Amino acid sequence: MSARDGDDTFLDRLQRRSDGRNVNPALGTLLGEGAQQRVTDLDRANPAHGFQAQVPSHFVADTAEAPSYHGLAAIKQPVWIATVPAYLFVGGVAGAASLLGLAIDVLGEKSMEPLARRCRLLGTAGDMLSAGLLIADLGRPTRFLNMLRVFRPTSPMSVGSWVLALSGALNSVGLVLGRSRGVLGVTGKVAGYSAAMLGMPLAGYTAVLLNNTAIPLWQSTRRTLPLFFMASASASAGSLLSLAPHTEREAEVLRPYRLAGKAAEVVMAHAVELDARRAPEVARPLSEGLSGTLWKTSRACSLAGLVVDALPGRQRWKQVAADMLTTVGAVAARFAVFHGGQASARNPQATFRPQRQGHGAAEVTGHAVASDGKPWSFPLPVVR
Amino acid sequence: MSRKGFFTDSTVCIGCKACEVACKQWNQLPDDGFQFTGMSYDQTGDLGCSTWRHVAFVERPVPMPGHSTGVGDFSWLMVSDVCKHCQRAGCLEACPTGAIVRTEFDTVYVQPDVCNGCGYCVVGCPFGVIDRRPDDGRAWKCTLCYDRIGEGMTPACAKACPTESIVYGDLDVLHERADNRLRELHSQGIISAYLYGKDAKNQPGTGGLNAFFLLVDRPEAYNLPPDPVVPTMKAGQAWGAVAVGALGMAAMAVGAVLLGRRGDS
Ligand code: SF4
Ligand code: SF4
Repeated sequence: MSARDGDDTFLDRLQRRSDGRNVNPALGTLLGEGAQQRVTDLDRANPAHGFQAQVPSHFVADTAEAPSYHGLAAIKQPVWIATVPAYLFVGGVAGAASLLGLAIDVLGEKSMEPLARRCRLLGTAGDMLSAGLLIADLGRPTRFLNMLRVFRPTSPMSVGSWVLALSGALNSVGLVLGRSRGVLGVTGKVAGYSAAMLGMPLAGYTAVLLNNTAIPLWQSTRRTLPLFFMASASASAGSLLSLAPHTEREAEVLRPYRLAGKAAEVVMAHAVELDARRAPEVARPLSEGLSGTLWKTSRACSLAGLVVDALPGRQRWKQVAADMLTTVGAVAARFAVFHGGQASARNPQATFRPQRQGHGAAEVTGHAVASDGKPWSFPLPVVR
Repeated sequence: MSRKGFFTDSTVCIGCKACEVACKQWNQLPDDGFQFTGMSYDQTGDLGCSTWRHVAFVERPVPMPGHSTGVGDFSWLMVSDVCKHCQRAGCLEACPTGAIVRTEFDTVYVQPDVCNGCGYCVVGCPFGVIDRRPDDGRAWKCTLCYDRIGEGMTPACAKACPTESIVYGDLDVLHERADNRLRELHSQGIISAYLYGKDAKNQPGTGGLNAFFLLVDRPEAYNLPPDPVVPTMKAGQAWGAVAVGALGMAAMAVGAVLLGRRGDS
């Protein structure tokens, strides 16, 4: 039945008189705030609990020393999909490659120029692929533009979107105009150099993106994770450039570069583990479950990549094997950190215990008490 | 406009879930499906994209003074949880699109038409409140009934609460009311009662909550973090590490090029 008076049929009018259905259907239109939610699948919206995963009466998550609410997670898990850890790798490679290109352009010799051009190509391709991966997570391209609606310095997501957009644009300009003459050439050079400078924050901000969250594993590794990501970015960029065919001459630059990156990566990964272990509950995903397996695999591959590369002898197969190992290690490390964060979000004690140990607000404000005003050793039941 | 908020007094909550229902009805929040969790009388579990009020049910083997349950040492703790509308809101500081704003009532509001579903607010909230609906792609949470309070009405949950466990009003008035209630409880011998997140002194990591609580057990028992912190408070250290890392990256690139030079240009 139509809402407007003019359009109802004779039948409508008859029915209305006989059965009292003189209700305006427009009144049934959902107008509340939440009514804007488009619902296609009821149960998918609330997947946390599902049907009983375990018999509740057998569930013993709580102890007097460390209570929790039915063992439920205290914070939300990240909602990101696998394109995000993939982006953490690709973005890092793009940043590191652009930077190496700049160093060769400024300090290098004429015979190194093809390598510089390959660096810029890798950087630009990486930027484009990164944007694609981010868009895949957001769902549609206009949403990436939406990210540039404001600039919010407190949000690494905002800072990073700007860095990625600018470095992609500048790198492309640099690649297109780099070989022109005159004003165009200068413009291209300046653009390329600026993009390369942005490569450093591009490789590092991805770690800050994770650190600046409430996820215990990510928040507690904020002193070391950026260094690890940046070292790993240099190692992977060096490895990928070495995997591509290159001359003897270029190998003399690539070899020290990738060896330094690989060594730094191995050292910083160890530092990340130490940083996380300040609270044992937080470090647990690095040794258990899917994330633990990924992390151990990545450590083994990275170490093997470094050792094989550093061994004497310069056979091509040896170097290819080393670079493959390093690349696999770097990719696995991104996925390990990503899944480890999800695991630590699922575990309520990973949120509660470090905060009781003084790793919550106390770490930055010096107020070493929890919200109930009681220190960690406070004995449970007080009510007598 | 004065600062508005909620004071939720868990000691008078009877677990009727009227607030949950009223919130769903007024805001026309979608159904979550019908699921039996088996966790006491709590079939909702937690706050999320389509649950903006959530009543927690804590069963504990400890008696409350003045209560006799007939089943020995046992007491119920119930509390209606909600978005805290933090003074320093992790979700707001994280949102890259400016979709999350602070309103004239000092509450934290997500504009659904601006949100682009990046999901960064979800990991930015130290209380696990805001969530992205998987089939909608946008983030949702309690609005503190922005549409009602603008008309001078009381938010739906506070209006529906039969025991005045949820009180809405000016923050100053609520603070005074909470302090009085705390004194009263302490004088009755319930010395474990305390206020959770009342102001910046009480919870420095969030600068105080506009929706604060009176609790009688550790925050963890109610699934609340004991010492939450807005992640941006610690972000300086991460950016510092990026600065150090940038020097390192530059040093590696420059060093490698210098090492590779033969002086043949
Ligand atoms: S409780 Fe979470 S969602 Fe609510 S204002 Fe605070 S940070 Fe934002
Ligand atoms: S999901 Fe929406 S509200 Fe949340 S941070 Fe992203 S744009 Fe902002």
